[in-house]
Amino acid sequence: MVAFRSTDASGRVTGLLFRCVLYSLLALALIIIDKRYDHLGKIRRLLSVVAYPVQIAVASPFEGWHWFRDSVSTRDALRADKTKLEADLRVAQFRLQRYEALEAETQRLRALRENTAGVTDRFVIGDVMNVDLDAFRERVLVDKGASDGIYVGQAVLDSGGVFGQVARVGQLTSEVILISDAAHAIPVQINRNGLRTVAVGTGDTNRLKLPYLPTSADVVAGDLLVTSGLGGGFPAGYPVGSIAEVKRDPAQSLADVDVKPAAALDRSRELLFVWLKPQAEELPPPPKAAPVPKK
Amino acid sequence: MPMALSALVALALAVVPLPAVLDAFRPDFLVLVVFYWCIESPRAGGLSLAFFSGLALDVINGVVLGQHALALTLMGAWATNLRLRIRVFSMMSQCLVVFALLTGYQFVLFWVDGATGNPVTTFSRWLAPFIGALLWPVLLGVMGKVHER
Repeated sequence: MVAFRSTDASGRVTGLLFRCVLYSLLALALIIIDKRYDHLGKIRRLLSVVAYPVQIAVASPFEGWHWFRDSVSTRDALRADKTKLEADLRVAQFRLQRYEALEAETQRLRALRENTAGVTDRFVIGDVMNVDLDAFRERVLVDKGASDGIYVGQAVLDSGGVFGQVARVGQLTSEVILISDAAHAIPVQINRNGLRTVAVGTGDTNRLKLPYLPTSADVVAGDLLVTSGLGGGFPAGYPVGSIAEVKRDPAQSLADVDVKPAAALDRSRELLFVWLKPQAEELPPPPKAAPVPKK
Repeated sequence: MPMALSALVALALAVVPLPAVLDAFRPDFLVLVVFYWCIESPRAGGLSLAFFSGLALDVINGVVLGQHALALTLMGAWATNLRLRIRVFSMMSQCLVVFALLTGYQFVLFWVDGATGNPVTTFSRWLAPFIGALLWPVLLGVMGKVHER
């Protein structure tokens, strides 16, 4: 006890132990409340607004550099870019030609099967902020938050495929957990044969795993994985990745399958936040109850 | 004033983007700064600084609220308790003490991670205390300059 007391210049004894215990108890209480109950959401949202200036200050030199590089790029570079984009657009339009027809057909077939897998309704584009979060978790900070209607659990895509989902929402920013985070799992389907399973993150940005496939499962390297839409979190049919390697050990009952994510998890700057069309709209109205006979 | 300013700069350094390879090697700048103030002028409220810096780290890192606050408070109190001895240590011994403090800090984080159900078990998290201890003399030099003014 005495060792924890310190005397300052005026001879006053300051209670270091007292303050230490007080703050520690406060911190412990915060941890327990944050973990057990969900009351801290509002406070956290407010605090994230306070943290926003720091994040902006850190990110702005990089944004400035990007802007500077863009504004001094030469005419030749811009022309080359333009040519490439035009070529890309041509290819994309070519692919789009049949898209409308195919979508209508899909909708018809879905209606036949009464499949209620979610269809994307609208989306918002967010930019990844140049801020590093915890080094040991696969998460990014995006400059769209509750004020843009972002909600927890929302699916996030990039131009290549599924990127992740929203883990936490602040007022102006939100935190996206990548599909490669060790705590993340996403329901998928092998595009070739419709085999359904779950893809689990590994903590390594360039690798996912399919831990629940039996050794005899019909899966080969190169197979495309798409979201199955089961669970309702993600829209169905978006690419998640391709099978990189299948290791089959006859002594084991489960195969060891590595997946390479389709999205550029470590490079994407622009992300798509997707809203699923409310499923109630697609369902036929419930049959009317038989009129109650009057007595 | 220099206290708040140095803490803000260290907070910014904690989130400055680094290449993924270097990210695991990022020393806990803010923790070092808090230790410095706890050792140099504990009367100016080193422990309050520790608690609120920890809270700021929690919000910015997006982990369980109170995790860094708890770790920083405990280690800040320890540093304050040891400060009279630390001040007369040679640089080598100071670095060793700081290494012990930083390791204790990581251990509290590790423990809270495990207790709240999302453990990070990679070995690389234990590199940060090592790097941080190596940086201690540099930090002393820089902070000494700031403090003199």
